[in-house]
Amino acid sequence: MFNFRKRLVTALAASAIAAIALSGCSPAASSAGSSAKASGGTLTIGTIVASTTFAVNNSAWANESPYLQAVYDTLLHSDPDGTVKPWLATKWSYNSDKTVLTMKLRDDVTFTDGTKFDADVAAKNLLRFRDGTSPQKAYLATLADAKAVDATTLQLTLSAPNPSLLSFLSQNPGLQESPAAFGTPDEKTTPVGSGPYVLDKKATVVGSTYVFTKNPRYWAPQQQHYAKLVMNVYSTPTAILNAIKGRQINGAPLTDNSTIPQIKGAGYTANGQQLNFFGLLLFDRAGTTTPALGDVRVRQAINYAFDRKAMLKAIGQGYGTVTSSIFSPDSSGYDKAMDSYYTYDVKKAKALLKEAGYGDGQITLTMPTSSGFTPATYALTKQYLGDVGIKVDEVNVAPTSFLGDLLAAKYGSTVMQLKAAPTTWETLTLDVLPKAGWNPFHTTDGTVDSLAKTIQTGSKDEATKAAQQLNEYIVKQAWFAPWYRPQQTYATDPNTSVQTQTGNAYPYLWNFVPKK
Amino acid sequence: MLAFIARRILSGVVLVVAISVIAFLLLYAGGGDIARRLLGEDASAQTVAQKAHELGLDRPLFEQFGSWVAGVFHGDLGTSWFTSQPVGDAILSRLAVTLSLVFGATILIAVVSVILGVLAATRGGWIDGLVQVLSLIGTAIPGFLIALGLVVVFAINLGWFAPTGYVQFTDSPQGWLSSIALPVIALSLGGIAGVTQQIRGSMLDSLRQDYVRTLKSRGLSTRSVVLKHVLRNAAGPALAVLGVHFVGLLGGAVIIEQIFAIPGVGQVAVTATSQGDIPLVMGLVIATGILVVLLNLVVDLAQGWLNPKVRLS
Repeated sequence: MFNFRKRLVTALAASAIAAIALSGCSPAASSAGSSAKASGGTLTIGTIVASTTFAVNNSAWANESPYLQAVYDTLLHSDPDGTVKPWLATKWSYNSDKTVLTMKLRDDVTFTDGTKFDADVAAKNLLRFRDGTSPQKAYLATLADAKAVDATTLQLTLSAPNPSLLSFLSQNPGLQESPAAFGTPDEKTTPVGSGPYVLDKKATVVGSTYVFTKNPRYWAPQQQHYAKLVMNVYSTPTAILNAIKGRQINGAPLTDNSTIPQIKGAGYTANGQQLNFFGLLLFDRAGTTTPALGDVRVRQAINYAFDRKAMLKAIGQGYGTVTSSIFSPDSSGYDKAMDSYYTYDVKKAKALLKEAGYGDGQITLTMPTSSGFTPATYALTKQYLGDVGIKVDEVNVAPTSFLGDLLAAKYGSTVMQLKAAPTTWETLTLDVLPKAGWNPFHTTDGTVDSLAKTIQTGSKDEATKAAQQLNEYIVKQAWFAPWYRPQQTYATDPNTSVQTQTGNAYPYLWNFVPKK
Repeated sequence: MLAFIARRILSGVVLVVAISVIAFLLLYAGGGDIARRLLGEDASAQTVAQKAHELGLDRPLFEQFGSWVAGVFHGDLGTSWFTSQPVGDAILSRLAVTLSLVFGATILIAVVSVILGVLAATRGGWIDGLVQVLSLIGTAIPGFLIALGLVVVFAINLGWFAPTGYVQFTDSPQGWLSSIALPVIALSLGGIAGVTQQIRGSMLDSLRQDYVRTLKSRGLSTRSVVLKHVLRNAAGPALAVLGVHFVGLLGGAVIIEQIFAIPGVGQVAVTATSQGDIPLVMGLVIATGILVVLLNLVVDLAQGWLNPKVRLS
């Protein structure tokens, strides 16, 4: 006869052994259990996305920049304020029409596989990036050719001047990967660079925890502030907050500013910067699908309809700066006066609509709604526009189709948050020029084209003047109806000092330093 | 017995094939522009089209499904579009983490439920009342709220456990225990409430049977009657409930892993599904489908093992 208790104990013991054995099967583990200390030993940071790929030609910047900066060098560096500085390229110069860039490269850099870095390698990397599928591929769209003049001289030929090229070469277009790794089966998960750290594949759990150890042969050891880097992926704001409160990480981006008081309470510093603008995008400036939007007075009325300070307080918890402009304060086109150009003025809005021939309720804007923004955002939008007599017809769009639908010009206007690019030219290529992705109706305007030409080809002073003129023109023409630039917050613990990076959600890796 | 196992495996295979087809169609129906989501809002339309071509998303649906099926038959589940990791590796590494949570929770549920259920049924009175109230509370409070409460009290305020992350057993047994303690407790409470009630009810039914009176009249101690005979008869239905809970725990792990940032199947399932990482989601569907089929088979066999009366010939 079977002994029931014996069986039960046997079954439980077997389950326990299986559980332990299974846990041991895991290839690696998160190191999140250890507390963060200012030893200079380990920097543990939180990220909100995993690394999609380490293959440079397909790599993404912004949220993925920490992974790439750990293992790769870029041709140029940029300071926290965006000033471009030498790195693998020590000197550079343009020809007179800014279509040929010649760069002098370092001769003492070696990849971790032993391959030597030279101008030929740099040229191959640039051309490969241009032909790859990186989200930032368009940054090198005007790169006609790249070639090595000699081992340390690189020459880039452009089909048209690119005023932001040097800045771009400090981001993923400028990353340098060993050519021996090009096209190898594990290129996407096994980086081979010349950077300050090396991916520890054994300790890494892809998609969850990435561990990097110091590259012992790094040519710039002064940039290696830590012996080890750990990057933990947190998929929810709650998990980030808990990791902060538990002092498990030295730094992390906050995806929800309402948690700022809590992170300050935990002794962390909230490092703020403004990377985006939030508001309405008025795409259909020619009135193709929404005739009323073709009238500048209607677009201006929309701008006057919103109480931006109230929007910032209600939606952005007061963290940010109200604005009527899409230009970043870091860009040459920024003009502080444009931040307050449109005030909250219902009377003026109604008068403009009347002048344009539209009475109360005669304009209906069809706008997509997405779970990406709060219901309060849409409710306030509807309310403010309704107050001046503009109706809003909301169309619920699946989050998976939202971006695609907007960029395919399915809607003449929408609520949206977009990057306030750190350079004027990037702003133009993203949002303004006829071929810009966020100009889905391909609006063309003689004044815009002319000023853009000056920004592209003129001297620095000419370009700066034209950029500010362009900003003012776009604001007055009401191409957009921004409400505010929300604060992007990066939290750091008391043991870590950091400088935020203009235009990037994450501080650059070498700007994390243990506090003495 | 062998014919029974073969039939169950065959029906399991049909089930897994069916859910694979349905999952594939659903993913494509609600997938939207996957290449655009992969590249983000700043990528140009040309780059998006190039990426879609690279991923094979511009091919007819049946052709994409055919390629995926052919890959499966060759042991290749593809590569995650959002982490570049082979799907097989991603699932194996994460399944181990999730199963360690689920096994841990199952053991906790079994042990605590047996103790509470037996106590409630045999002692009655205020103990029974207390167990019933606790069971009601355990059933009523959602697991994620329990998890959040546990984190705040035991990880953040008291600092006894790590609030997030997972430590491998081979790296540090103590760290491993610390990293799974709170998730396992959060995962278990609902199950403890349900299984305790089941054991209590089955025990009470069995205690009223004639054979119990007979055994007692023959001079067997109450302890011996309860543990050797009554509990054994009550274990069958309880095991069935535990089996159902085991499958439910896999679902519960989805939320718990998110809260504790544990790199398990649940966490990756949520991320992959929201991103539209079709190769990874399809791999997860296959893996969890097979797991559930096997678990149900094991529960059926275990019931026969524990109670000869339900054994199949």
